Amino acid sequence: MAEKRKDGDLMPTVEFSLEDLQQLLGKKITAEELEDAILYAKGEVESVDGDVVKVDIKDTNRPDLWSIEGIARELRGSYGVEEGLPKFSVAKSGVKMKVDAKVERVRPKTVGAIVKGLRLSGYAIKQLIQLQEKIHQTYGRNRELAAVGVYDYDTLRPPIHYTTVKPEGIKFVPLDFEEEMTPREILERHPKGREYGHLINKFKEYPLMIDSENNVLSLPPIINSSLTGKITPETKNVFIEITGHELERISVVLNVLATALAERGGRIYTVEVLYPRKKLVTPELGAKKFTLDFEYSKKILGLELSKKEVVKLLRRARYEAKISGGKIFTKYPAYRNDIMHQRDVIEDIAIAYGLNKMLPEPPRLPTIGAADAREEFSDTVRELIVGLGFQEILTFSLTSKDALFRKMNLEEKEICEIANPISANWSVLRNWLLPSLLEFSASNLHVEYPHRIFEVGDAVEIDETQETKTKTVRKVACAVADTKVSYEEISSVLDALMRNLGMDYELRKTDHPSFIPGRVSEIFINGKPLGVVGEVHPQVLNNWGVENPVAAFEITLVFSV
Amino acid sequence: MFVLTEEGREYLEQGLPEKNLVELLRRGPLELSEAQGKIKNFDIALQWAKKNRWVEIRERKLSLVSEPKEFPALEALKGISEGREIEEKLLSTLLQRKLIKKEEVLRAEEFAGKEITALTPELIKSRLWKEVKLKPYNVEAVGKRIYPGKRQPYLQFVSKVKRKLIELGFKEMSGPLVETEFWNFDALYQPQNHPARDWTSTYQLKNPRYGGLPGKRIVENVKRAHESGVAGSRGWGYKWDPRKAMQLMPRAHGTCLSARTLAAEPEIPGKYFAVARCYRPDILDAMHLIEFNQVEGIVIDESLTLRNLLGILEIFAKEIAGAKKIKFLPDYYPFTEPSVQLSAEHPELGWIEFGGSGIFREELTEPLGIDVPVIAWGIGIDRLAMFKLGIDDIRYLFTQDLKWLRNAKTVI
Repeated sequence: MAEKRKDGDLMPTVEFSLEDLQQLLGKKITAEELEDAILYAKGEVESVDGDVVKVDIKDTNRPDLWSIEGIARELRGSYGVEEGLPKFSVAKSGVKMKVDAKVERVRPKTVGAIVKGLRLSGYAIKQLIQLQEKIHQTYGRNRELAAVGVYDYDTLRPPIHYTTVKPEGIKFVPLDFEEEMTPREILERHPKGREYGHLINKFKEYPLMIDSENNVLSLPPIINSSLTGKITPETKNVFIEITGHELERISVVLNVLATALAERGGRIYTVEVLYPRKKLVTPELGAKKFTLDFEYSKKILGLELSKKEVVKLLRRARYEAKISGGKIFTKYPAYRNDIMHQRDVIEDIAIAYGLNKMLPEPPRLPTIGAADAREEFSDTVRELIVGLGFQEILTFSLTSKDALFRKMNLEEKEICEIANPISANWSVLRNWLLPSLLEFSASNLHVEYPHRIFEVGDAVEIDETQETKTKTVRKVACAVADTKVSYEEISSVLDALMRNLGMDYELRKTDHPSFIPGRVSEIFINGKPLGVVGEVHPQVLNNWGVENPVAAFEITLVFSV
Repeated sequence: MFVLTEEGREYLEQGLPEKNLVELLRRGPLELSEAQGKIKNFDIALQWAKKNRWVEIRERKLSLVSEPKEFPALEALKGISEGREIEEKLLSTLLQRKLIKKEEVLRAEEFAGKEITALTPELIKSRLWKEVKLKPYNVEAVGKRIYPGKRQPYLQFVSKVKRKLIELGFKEMSGPLVETEFWNFDALYQPQNHPARDWTSTYQLKNPRYGGLPGKRIVENVKRAHESGVAGSRGWGYKWDPRKAMQLMPRAHGTCLSARTLAAEPEIPGKYFAVARCYRPDILDAMHLIEFNQVEGIVIDESLTLRNLLGILEIFAKEIAGAKKIKFLPDYYPFTEPSVQLSAEHPELGWIEFGGSGIFREELTEPLGIDVPVIAWGIGIDRLAMFKLGIDDIRYLFTQDLKWLRNAKTVI
């Protein structure tokens, strides 16, 4: 669980100016103070370079915290500068967005908003672009689930149409280019087209955002047109549209963007989104509601809090709250969509209280510790083999068919194969350990001999009878590489191990292509064939580039499913 | 110089067998079988008495025919034991009878005052060491380098952490390396469209591709948790696909072991941990491995609170990282709420991100049949291990370098 990348999600890193934060906050704050303060916005300071601060935001479900505007809004609450629900004034613009039925199969949902009265500095524009990027990457799942378009409203002629177009059906100049291109050309030649083209190229027609005078706004979710999609310090009013698949998700994105711009002094105007059979007015910024149990909250927190304290903490976390009849009735901002259970609100209470102000209390539970029997047995085996003078090694269990079969002179058989390996060298899960030991010896050709090495580790075998169609098998492999090795020597190591483990075993002559004919036995433990011991075939040694003879054994110790 | 053998010493003390026989027959002839019962080493006695014509056998009776005046062999044994000279003929008889042997120490006069290198067993037994001088060595020279059998240092460090956890009352969990997405993700309330479940973030198997699902009750519960929510949650609100849950993968984290443990009627109160080998398609570099160990576990009890969670993290920081100061940071995991990150000030490394923890969401615990809080925790021991082993490249944890392994210090 302790990973910087949040379980597959890129953790958003927000870069901003400390001075800007102070202005948005209405309060002086040093970089040092920020270390603690940022915790209230689920952040951690990653670096400070003069005025430039980088902050990691931990929560991949809180896009409202992925901008300095949003962070400042949260911190105004924790500092008590401004508590309770943030207020945004919203007016009607009367502007319409018409949604064509044709988008249904391609990219069915869109919402929009207008923010007027802006005077964005170059820095503020950069912040806006940064927020857009973070949303695209994480919350928008690389634009698939949400793509943002921001335009200079004054270049548009509403109503706006959200429709589809044939790949060759229109021409416009995309951002960062100077020539007119068709959508197909954009997918083939524009860097963004190549990066995100896969999201739409399977359709006969592509999504298109266009105004009433046939000026293209964008080819969602790929690229804006350079005519309308350029935001500069001269831009006073912006139009924002979000496209995607779920209304809830794109609405949250719209609210995040609109309110971030409102923090920069803009005023939010609604847009009427006309679907074939319904009308939406967006953005919908009315507070959302959630009710939770007062006693349960205190129990989970382990804090004896009064009702008044809980209300105060929630207000600092930018909620409104009332407590009556054992229930906490909360209202929270519309730019959030992460509250699905009481615990989500309880965490916000905890953060507002301050985790570092809580007194840690180790649980006193009467439990008895114990090692897993399989692990304990493995340790016993390790101890015995170490006593026999072997160096333990640790190798990867991901390997290749080449290592498991071809190099070992074996016919390929069915094993666990990775569908998406990052390299052919790590494309299967090993079914035995000896190849890893030979590879190890080969990488130490010029290191003083003898190499007496062993590994106790897992291998995976196909087993149709199991829930996972495989079984994980704990094995031990032991090898001696030296200018002279003998079957006799390795079989006495094996014997010493087996006798000390109190295991009855028997060696039966066998043929095994990895070993020299006549110098290899199958190891039977309690009548079951569970291993092999012998002198490794010189062809196998050549295959690995091992230059000294090797004698080795491998035994299956324990199964687990 | 000769000394007595074991047999020679026995005869000197208990008499020669032939002498004992002669003395027995002085009282008159005896049945062969009777004499046999009375004399130790009868066969030897009879052989030598006959050879010297002292006795004869007639009709199975043994009688004395001529009584010897003395027994030279016995006298000789006595002489040798006292260090006297013995005549050649007798010596060769005694040697033949293996009653004496050549003493293999050199004479004292050959040794006296000499300097020798090796102290031998003979020198010790004969006490001749008193006569010699043992040559002094260059005792300050470093011994010749030898390579003992020993543990892999990183695994040894992991063992120490495990022992610590067991001392703290945790039981070890184990499970398969290949998991279904059900146990790796769905049972942990991680939605099926979560980016962690992407092709780029986790490995998937192409053979075998699909596994089975557990019992119907658990599957139905998990489906409901995702689709419409359980325990007062609104759920993720999408159509849950059992086929996706059956997809097989090498496990991406150890948390699936906790899910399996919770579903299998764990002890309450209970504490569990695992050191789990996990797989992720990362770029292999000095900071990342595609295959690594995660140390994590759970604590289960009705009484657990967020303050207990902080308490557990504090114990880990002190007991395992040796930290004096710690700091808690809010954190996020799809399967825990609240979630906390632990930063610990290591005496040498400074502040390190040492662990993560949270209370499992009820959307996770309820479908598995658990109705009390479960604290889930994980600790990052690799950074600590790297420090202890004096390495700055994480790939060395799985090193292929025999020389380095041989020279690596034992982790204490």
